[in-house]
Amino acid sequence: MYQRLFGLVLLVASVALSVTAWHYQAPFSYEPVGPRAYPLLLLVLIGLGAIYLLLKPATASAHSTEPPMDRHVLRKVAGCVLALMIYATLFEPLGFVPASILFGIAMARLYDGSWRTSLVTGTVAAIGLYLLFDKVLDVPLPLGILSALEI
Amino acid sequence: METLSYLGQGFGVALSPYNIFTALCGTLIGTVVGLLPGLGPINGVALLIPIAFALGLPPESALILLAAVYLGCEYGGRISSILLNIPGEASAVMTTLDGYPLARQGKAGIALSISAWSSFVGGLMATCGVVIFAPLLAKWAVAFGPAEYFVLMVFAIVCLAGMAGNKPMKTAIAACIGLFLSCVGIDSNSGVYRFTFGSLGLADGIQFVVLVLGLFSVSEILVLLERSHHGQKAIEAKGRMLFNLKEGAQVLATNLRSGAVGFGLGILPGAGATLASAVAYMSEKRLAVKDNKFGEGDLRGLAAPETANSASACGSMVPMLTLGVPGSGTTAVMLGALTLYNITPGPLLFQNQPEIVWGLIASLFVANLMLIVMNVPMIKIFTKILAVPYWALVPAIAIITSIGVYAIHATAFDLYLMIGIGIAGYILRKMDFPLSAILLGFILGGLMEQNLRRALSISNGDLGILFASPITWGVWSLVALMIVLPIWRTWRKRSQQKAQLANA
Repeated sequence: MYQRLFGLVLLVASVALSVTAWHYQAPFSYEPVGPRAYPLLLLVLIGLGAIYLLLKPATASAHSTEPPMDRHVLRKVAGCVLALMIYATLFEPLGFVPASILFGIAMARLYDGSWRTSLVTGTVAAIGLYLLFDKVLDVPLPLGILSALEI
Repeated sequence: METLSYLGQGFGVALSPYNIFTALCGTLIGTVVGLLPGLGPINGVALLIPIAFALGLPPESALILLAAVYLGCEYGGRISSILLNIPGEASAVMTTLDGYPLARQGKAGIALSISAWSSFVGGLMATCGVVIFAPLLAKWAVAFGPAEYFVLMVFAIVCLAGMAGNKPMKTAIAACIGLFLSCVGIDSNSGVYRFTFGSLGLADGIQFVVLVLGLFSVSEILVLLERSHHGQKAIEAKGRMLFNLKEGAQVLATNLRSGAVGFGLGILPGAGATLASAVAYMSEKRLAVKDNKFGEGDLRGLAAPETANSASACGSMVPMLTLGVPGSGTTAVMLGALTLYNITPGPLLFQNQPEIVWGLIASLFVANLMLIVMNVPMIKIFTKILAVPYWALVPAIAIITSIGVYAIHATAFDLYLMIGIGIAGYILRKMDFPLSAILLGFILGGLMEQNLRRALSISNGDLGILFASPITWGVWSLVALMIVLPIWRTWRKRSQQKAQLANA
């Protein structure tokens, strides 16, 4: 069931992308193959694969290696994605440390940590990783609202 | 003789104090990363790339670091397989079959030490193989033109699908998706913006670190959510920590055979450690006629996959270094790292920058030696790390992943892209698509297009150039073989099933 749905989505996507790719034309070209041919070739192959997924008998998907989804897990996955999106949004305006503290707490809660352990984990991870990466390993991270504190 | 002098030069690079320290850090980090659930060699190596860059490591040190992490991961993966019955990554699945029963019989210490020894033997054999075969292949590969390269990459993709076992079609689709993703961004030949949809963030393409961390780290974080409520307790490693001579002698033949198998399969593009460990285990099981206890804690059943595993990890360096065509997901990431340094792996690397190639090969020896020396006494510490709960581990992994992605361009756009790719990866994983095929396709995609277009420029658009030289004929026939093989295999399986039904 899901396999076919996925096949359908893949087919639609490859057709739509092919339509976009059709207009790719080099204004002047020194070579016989333009920018269009190679992506189109691949999209055709992906499309054929999608058709195969649509038509294939569904028996093979019965023994998938991953455990089946239930509502509980699905809700957690959605929560995790939401936390990641919020983190990405806050990363620059709020700065690495505050955003990571919030995100760390949320993630620890999602993985069944108690409130107290989550608070500790989030704070320690955020500050520790900031010191490690920004100060020791020289990976510049945004300071955000804490930029006033930098000496 | 020439090889030996180059190797000596390589040891000169690898044994400089700076690089020894790098290798030591790499092996330690690698073992821990391989040990942790949810982090395999691919994410481990990918996470370190931005760091290696930020630290300003010279290319040969960066490569040594990444190779050491790779080997360390293959070592570390077995610890959770043996003590927890949870394989850290796909290639360690076979290790659980006999490793976990051994641990439950109270022989965890012996199992850990014999598997460390097996990894060492496998790695050593394969590194010797690299020393012998890589220069030969490089010499031969100089004759490759763009057409030959294109055909070779077609072979790599087809091989990936043909070797994938039960799901060749899905692997092929995944590889094509990866190939397609490499088209996103400005086309370097004509300057046309392809599939960017007006977004500036996509203009120079999808950064491969973003792709790797999205596909492997973010999707793994989502997958771990399912397992968080049923935790498992590790078996304590106690009793004799070292195997004795008799046990060592018992597995020596297995070690040698599996090492050869692993190296051979490691060289094949796309086959990698997962297949190597499975093949080695199965063939040893078939060979063991006398007191066959495979599956209930046979030392040979533990030694075979572990030897093959690390042998193929070293073996997969051969196609990466000599042809620039990666043999596994992890070497694909290393190839990406090399291109960040503006180094194009391939036969010319052996001529132009021998210190990088031979430094890397020599450091494989060094890293292997470090791992065996480190692993036996430090096993107690490593098993402690296994007890870290997910709620402490996963937030840290997620934050480190985000730092790794942010560090490339310092834009939040890459973070969104990573999350998007991660969700897609999670869905694909649920659908049973192999993610490493996407990665391999992505790395090969750009090279493949460049070579195809170059070849057709030479021939002025005539497709005949792809079938013009003896090398291309040879590779095309291998491609045909690889396409026929899975079809033949399913056909045989089906006819066997029919025969069984007829008998029953």
